[in-house]
Amino acid sequence: MTALDTGVPKAAPFTRLLAAEVRWVLRRPRTLVMLGLFALIPVLIAIGVRVADRQAGPGRGLIGAVAGNGLVLPVAAMTVALGLLLPLAVAMAAADAIAGEAAAGTLRGLLLAPVGRLRLVVVKASGVLVVAAAAVLALAVVGVLAGLLVVGGPPGQLVTLSGSTIGTTEALGRVTLVALWTVGQLAAVGAVALAVSAFTEHPLVVLAAVLGGLIIFGVLGAIPALDWLQPVLLTSGWTAGVDALRDPMPLDGLADATLRALWYLAAGAAVVVLRMLRRDA
Amino acid sequence: MTRGYAPDRGRSGHDSASTPDPHLTAVDAPPAARARGLRKVFGSTVAVDGVDLDVPSGAVLGMLGPNGSGKTTLIRLLLGLTRPTAGSAELLGMPMPDRAAAVLPRVGALVEGPGFHPFLSGRENLRRVAAAEPLLRTREIPRAVDAALERVGLADAANRPYRGYSLGMKERLGLAGALLLPRRLVVLDEPTNGLDPAGTRDVRAIIAELHADGATVVVSSHLLTEVEATCTHVAVLQSGALIAAGELHTLLDAGTTGLVVSTPDVDLALHTLRGIGAAVYRDEAEPSAVVVPDGPSAPEVVALLVRAGVAVHEARRRRPRLEELFARLTEGTP
Repeated sequence: MTALDTGVPKAAPFTRLLAAEVRWVLRRPRTLVMLGLFALIPVLIAIGVRVADRQAGPGRGLIGAVAGNGLVLPVAAMTVALGLLLPLAVAMAAADAIAGEAAAGTLRGLLLAPVGRLRLVVVKASGVLVVAAAAVLALAVVGVLAGLLVVGGPPGQLVTLSGSTIGTTEALGRVTLVALWTVGQLAAVGAVALAVSAFTEHPLVVLAAVLGGLIIFGVLGAIPALDWLQPVLLTSGWTAGVDALRDPMPLDGLADATLRALWYLAAGAAVVVLRMLRRDA
Repeated sequence: MTRGYAPDRGRSGHDSASTPDPHLTAVDAPPAARARGLRKVFGSTVAVDGVDLDVPSGAVLGMLGPNGSGKTTLIRLLLGLTRPTAGSAELLGMPMPDRAAAVLPRVGALVEGPGFHPFLSGRENLRRVAAAEPLLRTREIPRAVDAALERVGLADAANRPYRGYSLGMKERLGLAGALLLPRRLVVLDEPTNGLDPAGTRDVRAIIAELHADGATVVVSSHLLTEVEATCTHVAVLQSGALIAAGELHTLLDAGTTGLVVSTPDVDLALHTLRGIGAAVYRDEAEPSAVVVPDGPSAPEVVALLVRAGVAVHEARRRRPRLEELFARLTEGTP
């Protein structure tokens, strides 16, 4: 059956571990419910915009800009969700990834198999990233579809917030860019959430920490006297996705936020690795 | 070979001055598990206190001890799930937890109860465990999972969600996870928790099979009859210290031996035997029996009693049960 006594056994194939993790993540009922709810967000916005009066247009806020301009919808949906719902979803995935496994007693099983501790971190981080990507994908794809089908708009183009129009291909490119950028921001949230997750076996602690952190960041960001804090607050650049709707598209907001996210990502990853190398199971 | 260690720590020089174990195929095979001065402190609690233990290769070692005596912590230390405060642990001749990657693929373990996800079926849970097993090839996984389910008697319930499993079924699934592939060492922490009598028998049969295949088994249990029925070796823990370890029958034989004579003529029997200078006393458990702990041989005793006109209904060797031994060990020490 297996070469039981020939030398040091190799570890289980990495792709197999990854596939098992992704299957586990996507089989979890709460993940599926959550993805369903994210798919619902653009639909709800679309219906809301459709039902509301038709006089909307630029100058009536982001949601207002959706009216009669369907390709704005995915960007609007992602921007709205990034404020709270997407980080919450990622925090939930990160909570289940380590703290939840510890609580279920399955973390021990993985370490006993054994899955190397460093590999385990990579596998777990991948699982969280899959959830983040799936949620953003749901928002973007359903957003585009609902935008085109329910809201409609000038055929084959997108009216930017600056008043100019761009073609469908470029519009879809910009939606993709915002989606990728959003996943990047969520990766930072996920790394920090995983770091918390590595220290506890109570998934709720992770959710509370991330939610509390977001609220504190929001409050700090809203205090004018603390303007100097803005560059270090992860949340302060989170509306930059809207820049994709301007013409020409300013890139510094997106770039600044990405750089900030990278710092959080690095810090979170370092803490997760250091902690998981020592963690008792 | 495991010896009976005195509880005092720091005693050294008990290295494997060993008698060959009948189950060893290679005489110089390293012990399947070894602890040297192993100590683990959680905060102000000393969970494991200077344990020296050798589990000979091929043995079935029963780990006994009252609740909270450190059995599970000792097992976790041996498996490298937690790092010792002091001392060292080895599995299959390699230091833990440093060589975990090389050792653990050949070790099956069920520690601190079964751990599975409620929303997955038994089979899906097991597949997930199997995916992480280094020694299982990907195409072997479905068969290995089915075989393990069959072995623990869960084949019929394999597709039901784990959420709906009874305590005993959960325990069986945990056992299946440890038995996904042939192992050189299987560590079972309270494997009969929540099992019905049939389940307990199944576990006993599985342990016997593993033993017959040459695997080493470490099983912790508070069910002494269980251990007595399945184990070749025992280790007794109390308050984190190892107070006895060794081959089961050696330990039992070292306990009170002697002869129990059932007779209605207790007083006459006592008088007769004391007449030849034997130490003899009434059996506390049986009112119509006397115990001859040492001294004259069984035929001598019986002949003497019969000649003296004592009606001997039965004479048998006294062999203490593990339960008595355990009670004496754990109550005798402060």
